[in-house]
Amino acid sequence: MTMLKVGSITKRFGGLTAVDSVSFEVFEGTIKALIGPNGAGKSTLFNCLTGFDQPDSGTVEFKGRQIVGQKPLDTVRAGLARTFQNTRLFDEMTALENVMVGAHARQRAGFAAAALLLPSAVSEDRDAANEAARILRVIGIDEWATTPAADLPAGIRRLVEIARALATVPSLLLLDEPAAGLNVPETRELVQTLFRVRDDGTTVLLVEHDMGLVMEVSDEIVVMDRGAKIAEGPPRMIQKDPSVIAAYLGEEAVDE
Amino acid sequence: MVAQTVRRAAPFAAACMVLVGPFLIENRFLLKVFTFVGLNVLVVVGLAILFGYAGQVSLGHAAFVGIGAYTCAILTTRHDVEWILAFGAAGLAAALGGFLLALPSLRLKGHYLAMATLGFGELATLVFVEAEHVTGGVDGFAGIPFPSIGAFEFREPSALYWLVWGVVGVVLVLAANMTRLRPGRAMRALHGSELGAMASGVDVVGVKVRSFVMSSALAGLSGALYASVVGFISPSVFTVGASVTFLAMTVIGGTGSLAGPLAAAALLTLLQYVDALIPGVSRQTALFIQSYQADVYGLAIILVVILSPKGIAGLFRRVRDGVRP
Repeated sequence: MTMLKVGSITKRFGGLTAVDSVSFEVFEGTIKALIGPNGAGKSTLFNCLTGFDQPDSGTVEFKGRQIVGQKPLDTVRAGLARTFQNTRLFDEMTALENVMVGAHARQRAGFAAAALLLPSAVSEDRDAANEAARILRVIGIDEWATTPAADLPAGIRRLVEIARALATVPSLLLLDEPAAGLNVPETRELVQTLFRVRDDGTTVLLVEHDMGLVMEVSDEIVVMDRGAKIAEGPPRMIQKDPSVIAAYLGEEAVDE
Repeated sequence: MVAQTVRRAAPFAAACMVLVGPFLIENRFLLKVFTFVGLNVLVVVGLAILFGYAGQVSLGHAAFVGIGAYTCAILTTRHDVEWILAFGAAGLAAALGGFLLALPSLRLKGHYLAMATLGFGELATLVFVEAEHVTGGVDGFAGIPFPSIGAFEFREPSALYWLVWGVVGVVLVLAANMTRLRPGRAMRALHGSELGAMASGVDVVGVKVRSFVMSSALAGLSGALYASVVGFISPSVFTVGASVTFLAMTVIGGTGSLAGPLAAAALLTLLQYVDALIPGVSRQTALFIQSYQADVYGLAIILVVILSPKGIAGLFRRVRDGVRP
């Protein structure tokens, strides 16, 4: 089944076409990677999918519903969660509290209910804490639960951000360069987490530079160069694709 | 275990101390000073929610105190409205002002938001001065009746003290509950990273607007109490200078905490009356502190930034956790 259907997304910044009519699909239960050289437009496309940026034209169909033009809050509620290239954790809050925020959109205790300590508000809070603790345990970072996010090592910060995204109970998880700045053991940890997430039934779309990681985890890869999609297919095919090799090694420049 | 017991018992101990205040303090002037502490605490708790939790700065909060004060004054004197209703209306009027000020906050951040709120504060002072037929202009507004509920009038300093601290107590309990649960987490998330909060499904717009509304409502209630306790108000009380004072108390108190700003508000308010509190300190010293108030606060903020960037609350947390500063 198609989880996400991206249709001819175009995004211009002034005279620059950052994303040029890109289309692809992500199937349920798979891990798809979006790769390409720096400036290929991957992060811009990512922002267009999650409502952090609006495309100039094109469609985004998520679980059969058009979500293009929606705000980030609406995309989260629809079941689409994301992480950032530079982790956006809440530094003053503990890892557990960070993940608890992920439950926010699913809960409803308002300011008044909380101020009056209504039973619904209190039990919701306990549920959020239990659920966050469970996710940290599943990802294998529960030992960091009470550490303020500011004091966490880079690799753990990434995982906490993924945990926070998972706490929104997404159908599709979008990861923007999850391996950036991670050392080798931390990257191994990340790979394990990605498989675990997929096996738990969450579809994954990631933008990534680390080719080793991409080839290892992805079921399918989309390659972008200068805003346009230049190739799509399983890892083995992508590795041999001449246009992909050209984009990465700059063969075109040599020819000219 | 001990730490936890202390933490749970501390608020009760503080509440008891505040409660028995009038029995221990015979000096009527001192009782009034402590009543003023309560009024400032009320404003600063609101700012702690807005700034310390939600991370939104306001340099115009004295305007809300003013809106509350004038609303209460006008309703009780010219329209014979029951005090308790006027008190509520004052909170509502200030909340409405806070809602209007929240609108620019949806587009502005940091310094720009600070400038917008500063402009709002200046504008409010201007209105208090110029709308003479409503506010009494620079000459002020006199003859505001004491607070009353039904037939009971709060005239005695001790009664006023209990009324103010009663309101402070209720507000503190509600604010503590609210900040501890889902809304508080959303505010802290917004403070930590707006993008991160959005991505986590926090209604960033809603949280900002609600924080502004709540915090301005508290300032308005404080203003209404001030007007009724003193009986006279004038625009000189609700200036940008006062806004800066409130924000200074909040910053010195520390972010993500209610107790820290509460302590800072109490200490900095009492500092002006140091001669009446500590025997042997001359009146001159207190006057000196009063005339250099802005400098004292500036110095305090510098010290906080250098020694304990997270304010009194941060210092307290470090001591509790046994980490050396």
